Amino acid sequence: MSAPALEVQDLHAYYGESHVLQGVDLVVRPGEAVALIGRNGAGKTTTISAIAGFLRPRQGTVRINGRNLTGAPAHWVARAGVALVPQGRRIFGDLSVRENLAIAGRPAANGWDEARVVELFPSLGRRLGLRGDQLSGGEQQMLAVGRALMRNPSLLLLDEPSEGLAPMLVEEVGETLVRLRATGLPLLLVEQNLGLATRVGQRVHVMNKGTIVFTGTPVELAAARDVEARYLGV
Amino acid sequence: MTRAARWVALAAVAVGLVTFPYWSAAWETSRFATTVLRDMLVFAIFALSLDILVGHAGMPSLGHAAFFGGGAYAAGIASQRLGTDQLPITLAAAVLVAALLALVIGLLVVRSEGIFLLMLTLALAQIVFAIAFQWTAVTGGSNGLAGVSRPTLFGIDLSAPDRMYVLVAATFLVVSLLIWSLMRSPYGRALTGVRENERRMRALGYDTTRLKLSAFVVAGMIAGVAGALSAYSQRFVSPGDAGIGTSVQAFVMVLIGGAGTILGPVLGAGVVMYIQRVLSSAIPVSETVLGLVFIGFVLLARQGIVGLGRAAYARVRAP
Repeated sequence: MSAPALEVQDLHAYYGESHVLQGVDLVVRPGEAVALIGRNGAGKTTTISAIAGFLRPRQGTVRINGRNLTGAPAHWVARAGVALVPQGRRIFGDLSVRENLAIAGRPAANGWDEARVVELFPSLGRRLGLRGDQLSGGEQQMLAVGRALMRNPSLLLLDEPSEGLAPMLVEEVGETLVRLRATGLPLLLVEQNLGLATRVGQRVHVMNKGTIVFTGTPVELAAARDVEARYLGV
Repeated sequence: MTRAARWVALAAVAVGLVTFPYWSAAWETSRFATTVLRDMLVFAIFALSLDILVGHAGMPSLGHAAFFGGGAYAAGIASQRLGTDQLPITLAAAVLVAALLALVIGLLVVRSEGIFLLMLTLALAQIVFAIAFQWTAVTGGSNGLAGVSRPTLFGIDLSAPDRMYVLVAATFLVVSLLIWSLMRSPYGRALTGVRENERRMRALGYDTTRLKLSAFVVAGMIAGVAGALSAYSQRFVSPGDAGIGTSVQAFVMVLIGGAGTILGPVLGAGVVMYIQRVLSSAIPVSETVLGLVFIGFVLLARQGIVGLGRAAYARVRAP
């Protein structure tokens, strides 16, 4: 069997003195979509930061496609094939939509390019010449996903793509992610929106106080009433 | 205006600019105007180079005069020590020294941001100033470096005022075009990305430290060209060319004109030099006027003259 797209083992990270990640274990297998859910402050975004190279973990390992990239700088992690759709979208407002896509471009044979991104998000096709900051929130989210795809990643990390979007747009994001999952692109989706997370994720990790407290399929999660009540407040 | 018409208009302006001393020759003030315009263009090149950092890469620097002064001294010293007035040699010396200084200073500062970047660039540039001021044997110390010879190019003596002007104006056009195309290239877009969100650029696989360092070196080299032109024009280099005053002057030009554009720093250089050179002979408080103009722009028009122009244009076009 080939190496997992992402393998996180016993990850510990600190912000100053506070011990934010207390031994996180996480695997995303080839072609698999995994959701990481939990309340605010559970350590979800910190986990993503540590994987993407923004935060140096104190202990534990991060392996991307079998390569040990623990504590590597962000641009190395990116070059190893990891693309991140950050929280709050963070597109480049001063650059046009086309430039936002081009700046991320890492061409690959039969891979993602501007035409394919426009095919996935037709409304971006009508906005290619506009500046990033002239887009609506939903369009910015599409652009952020499109920009990550332009990297032709071997693993896509998404940090709360539903944040600040109207329910209808969250629905759309879900549809897009399900379609991406069908292409075989491994996904790690960090979400607070339980509906979106269980729709996209084939496996779900629930996080609380810096550790994973539950791992299972969406069906198993639905059956584990105590987990939902205790850690997700639903 | 169509694209072609715009290029034709620009070309006409460029030709008019380079030939200024000749078509203005009949004016009584032609010689004075040529000198002022020449110095404006030298500073326009300098301000354009600083704007690569301030307006494009988002790295405000208060030490840019180190490269201007470094270039000026290098051109002057090279011509004196080597006994040559060949433009390619003295200009190459200026660009080389400015690039080395920018590389060294850049390595020390590119990881800092905001106020720390301002203070670090200021402090390091002051070291360059101190060297210029105290290494009397080489730089002439506080007396400055006098008697810098004007260059020759392909056997053409450029020492006459009109020819010196043409050299400066032509260099200005080349540098403007170079920066314009550089900032529209993928490299320039990447710098914009770094200014907007460095973290994001790292996550997209860009080594942002190297990108910023390269911008620092490119900006330093162009500042060195401006410094060399200043040395040829004035036939003199003073430690002040590498000092805080010169750095601030360029910064003020960029902010008054409008950062992140080609026209902005050029207009800013024009306004500042006009106040310092022309207005100063008419009224005794021209420096105060410059201060008030600067305060006015900082408080009321952060985008500078170019920003004001764009706002006015948008209002006219709006239905």
